[in-house]
Amino acid sequence: MPTRPLVTRYEQDLRLFEDRWAQAGLALWVLVALALPFVASDRWLTTANLALIAVVGAVGLMILTGFAGQISLGHAAFLALGAYTTAVLGERLELPFWLAMPCAGAVAAAVGLAVGPFALRLRGLYLAIVTLGILFLTSHLLHSLPELTHGVSGMAVRMYAGGSDAAGEALRFSTPWRLGPVTLGFDRKLYYLFLLLAAGAAWLGKNLAHSNSGRAMMAVRDQDLAASVLGVHPARSKVLAFGVSSFLTGVAGSMFAYQQQYITIEPPFDLNLSVQYIAMIVLGGVGTIFGAVAGALLFVCLAPLMETVGGWIPFVADLSSHQRSTLLFAVGVCVLLVVEPLGLLGLWLRVKRTFAAWPFRY
Amino acid sequence: MSTWLQLTVSGLSLGTIYALIALGFVVIYRASAVFNFAHGELLAFGAFAMISLCGAGLPWGVALAAALVATGLLAAAVERLVLRPMIGRPVFVTIIVTIFVGSVLRSVIFIAWGPQTRGMPTPWDPLTTVDVAGASLLMNSVAALGAGAAALAAFFLLVRRTKLGVAMRATASDQETALALGIPVGRVFAATWFLAGLFAALAGIFLGMFPRNVDTNLGFVALRAFPAVIVGGLDSAWGTVLAGVLLGVLEVLCQGYVNPYLGEFGRNFHAVFPYVVMILFLIVKPHGLFGTREVERV
Repeated sequence: MPTRPLVTRYEQDLRLFEDRWAQAGLALWVLVALALPFVASDRWLTTANLALIAVVGAVGLMILTGFAGQISLGHAAFLALGAYTTAVLGERLELPFWLAMPCAGAVAAAVGLAVGPFALRLRGLYLAIVTLGILFLTSHLLHSLPELTHGVSGMAVRMYAGGSDAAGEALRFSTPWRLGPVTLGFDRKLYYLFLLLAAGAAWLGKNLAHSNSGRAMMAVRDQDLAASVLGVHPARSKVLAFGVSSFLTGVAGSMFAYQQQYITIEPPFDLNLSVQYIAMIVLGGVGTIFGAVAGALLFVCLAPLMETVGGWIPFVADLSSHQRSTLLFAVGVCVLLVVEPLGLLGLWLRVKRTFAAWPFRY
Repeated sequence: MSTWLQLTVSGLSLGTIYALIALGFVVIYRASAVFNFAHGELLAFGAFAMISLCGAGLPWGVALAAALVATGLLAAAVERLVLRPMIGRPVFVTIIVTIFVGSVLRSVIFIAWGPQTRGMPTPWDPLTTVDVAGASLLMNSVAALGAGAAALAAFFLLVRRTKLGVAMRATASDQETALALGIPVGRVFAATWFLAGLFAALAGIFLGMFPRNVDTNLGFVALRAFPAVIVGGLDSAWGTVLAGVLLGVLEVLCQGYVNPYLGEFGRNFHAVFPYVVMILFLIVKPHGLFGTREVERV
């Protein structure tokens, strides 16, 4: 099944949006996203913040797994590195968030670049299990440096805005802003910051997909031997994919730390988290940025949704809310993937095709 | 000397359990190129089924057989319901589906048996020891070693000497050709999953007896067996058994002799040690001990 219309000219291939309709649709989404904090309840605003974090992380994983074809079970390790770098920098140096976030990305990227060379010799499941090993090692390391990470008890994350007030105290990000009649509290401010970052990550990923290096990654994914015959450098593509992906993931980890305000090592940074990110990109549809964004949004919103829906199903309603959401959620993902392995992207293509071919069936 | 022997035997029995778990992965991987992430939950299911069956008053041996068969049937049912419709779809997606099947099973186990920790019933007193060459060894760990070795021997006989074994090997080497030769590939898959379920349950039951008790987290032990699968080579049954036993021994020896010298870093270091060994090993041999080196054509 083709995932996009036939491309006949190079300019067409470079274009970010297929046509005017795609641009109009995006504009509508932007309006919805900007208005959301004033419409949604607190619970859904928190869910939206988590969803935006997931978007950044999923775009990161999509570049590595979807574009370059390197399966990684160690995604949670990079998230943990980003989160802990942010927390430590906030605690020790009182760095403002706009400085701490790139630092978190850089630390994660450094580790990613160190892991990258493993991918030159290993492939498929061998690489996946090695990245799982990296996850265990990272978590062991974080546990064994208690003077930096406070070990199992976890640490508070302070978010500084940069500069200091009249009393000489460093300014906190959490102080609300008043713009005329509108008040922006911590959650809303965080939402707009995350929206910006998520849009930036999606834009970066989309551009990468249409660029030289992105096409090289996809060539390596599809057939690395053939790619190297055609002049693509597989080693460079794989290491680049690891670098970009782990940078974005580190930033996502940093966002997560700021959103949670208090972080511990395990949970959340365990295999389960890595698996959740893989599920996001598979749910959305592997290989496109649309898939990463849609999958992340659906994944994060599905759990609270399932908790509500589960109350209406007779036997399931007797379970605790957490059990209800995990069970229904896992069943839902299984059914969706058995019915449509391309995920949301596949469903979307089906809908589009039905309308394009109407009144006939494709 | 006797400490050394004691550690080695408990390492061997842990290693046998790793080998059993790893063999379950390899059996499924060879037949269908799927890495079954739900294996750990099958293992936990086997252990819980055993406890319930013993609690229902069945004699120990009968309960053991019934728990093994029940887990095998569960595995075959998972294959029939979820995995069979995925044949011909991208393998990557199928692997992800097994992760979520595992998550469903874990919820079901949690709902059915609850969070309490239970002891695994044994026909002998759980603290019985056997004296070998001056070292006292737990009866449980010796039994795990014996049962594991017997199961592994039975498996190799089955694969080498029976019609089913030949059909399994044929399916593993080429599904389409096997179909063309009249081998019922679907039924062979079901049999493979049944076997993997048997191994999982056996490992779960003996694991519940010797190093730990049975709770809903028992399934996570399967994660510890991954290095054995990888070091042995994903598609080599002999390799994984060897690697499983070796890594089990190494893990216990590391706990006894290396951890104390590493200070703060050494706490629980033995838990990640197999992974360190695996990563170092893969740098030298990227396809594991006996894994097939792929010949690439473009």
